[in-house]
Amino acid sequence: MINLLFFGRLGDCALEVDKSILYQDDLATPLDVRDWLAKAHGDLGQVLSEPQVLVSVNKRIVKWDHPLADNDELAFLPPVTGG
Amino acid sequence: MSIYVSVQTEDFTVANEYQRLRQITHSAGAVVTFSGLVRDFEVGSGKQSQRDSLKSLTLQHYPEMTERLLEEIIQESQKRWSTLGVTVIHRVGRLLPNDQIVFVGVVSTHRDDAFQAAQFLMDYLKIRATFWKKADVDGTEQWLEAKGSDTAAAARWDGSHRD
Repeated sequence: MINLLFFGRLGDCALEVDKSILYQDDLATPLDVRDWLAKAHGDLGQVLSEPQVLVSVNKRIVKWDHPLADNDELAFLPPVTGG
Repeated sequence: MSIYVSVQTEDFTVANEYQRLRQITHSAGAVVTFSGLVRDFEVGSGKQSQRDSLKSLTLQHYPEMTERLLEEIIQESQKRWSTLGVTVIHRVGRLLPNDQIVFVGVVSTHRDDAFQAAQFLMDYLKIRATFWKKADVDGTEQWLEAKGSDTAAAARWDGSHRD
């Protein structure tokens, strides 16, 4: 399985999304997952494609072509606003 | 070097945090502390001068990742300034105007290191640490957008590396 997390305003756009997806060959990178999500959830696909959105795997910021492994935690992060 | 990082819902007491930093070592010559508070207004997205009344702020974060990022920011500060101890506390959950939201404290041998490291830590925390604010502005909940001024504030440290 790949566990999905959506933070900040991205979470509001992902309310309908199943947060646990089956690990499979055609979902090999965060980019693949984003494109796959966009097919069923167009609005979500759009906000995830904004250039300032970052992606992390197992709590480390990675590039969009980072290889995914089974049981990875994949998180989508909008620009941070702490402090 | 003593590091204390906490992401918590509970409030903090500046006097206690000051004492913790002060007691780390007798080599200490300076303690600088910063406390961030929740303002009761948010500048509207329309006219620059417009101020919308803020009722509450709800902070979300990414557990474990946030703490690690804060520790990395502290380690980054150590490459630039000579500090003896650093405390970073950030609150999460629902906060009200005038509540304390963030604390940064630095103890060093000489004041300049503590002043600069504290400012650097706040600037980098703002653009790196995985916190997100949702504001109740006049009864409407909205996620706050990142500010370009925060990115600019952090950029001033580019090239300040100590070699």
